[in-house]
Amino acid sequence: MRNIATLTASASLFHAKLADATWLAQHFSSSEFSTLFDQLFAGHTIIDSHEVNISLPEIAENGAVVPITISSSLDHIDKIYILVEKNPTPLACEFELSKDVVVYITARIKMAESCNVVIIAQQEDYLLRNQKWVTVMQGGCGTG
Amino acid sequence: MASSIKIRSQQLDDYTEIKVLLSHPMENGRNRDVNGILIPAHFIQEMIIELNNKTIITADLGGSVSKNPFFTFRLKNGNSGQPLTVRWIDNLGQSDSAELILE
Repeated sequence: MRNIATLTASASLFHAKLADATWLAQHFSSSEFSTLFDQLFAGHTIIDSHEVNISLPEIAENGAVVPITISSSLDHIDKIYILVEKNPTPLACEFELSKDVVVYITARIKMAESCNVVIIAQQEDYLLRNQKWVTVMQGGCGTG
Repeated sequence: MASSIKIRSQQLDDYTEIKVLLSHPMENGRNRDVNGILIPAHFIQEMIIELNNKTIITADLGGSVSKNPFFTFRLKNGNSGQPLTVRWIDNLGQSDSAELILE
């Protein structure tokens, strides 16, 4: 069904499609990290895993632009969440990947202050967690 | 107006690397301008990447993504000649899209 819709995609159809999309305001609103974490993942078993690798600078000179690389030797992961523990809006991005995509993402995120960056990788019912501490020298004004 | 989307692709031995640069302020609504006036939130909420008209990546974004979002993805091989489309929509309803035929 989705294929038929996209084959005939036009600008207006695209908007209709996005209107059905899943961007959820409550995921990206200002909240305490622990509150948001429960909202996103409560009821799931979270396994701390190094099968999902995070590459981040140990010290970020400028919190407005912190490069992050997420990779894994796993063949597929359904969803990847990037959370910045002490940002006013802790959830930075939520990626949904099809099986055509290698588990490898780079992005640039804002960090308000030194804290952990937490990655949750969802594969079916399993949630894998890895995190890394980043020392932020200068949190960009109003970052996060 | 120039496109807000730049896409580059490179065929490598084991995968195709895609780089996407979106020109966007990504204001989270907490910054103030030089006069101390709060700058309203203005950020991309969703980016969709399609390969051959099939969605392969959906990215939901918040104001914690840096200005001018830049992403790298890797696609499993076998996509030469296929169209890759990148689209985004922001919290004000503005949107853009661009297409690249993979080499």
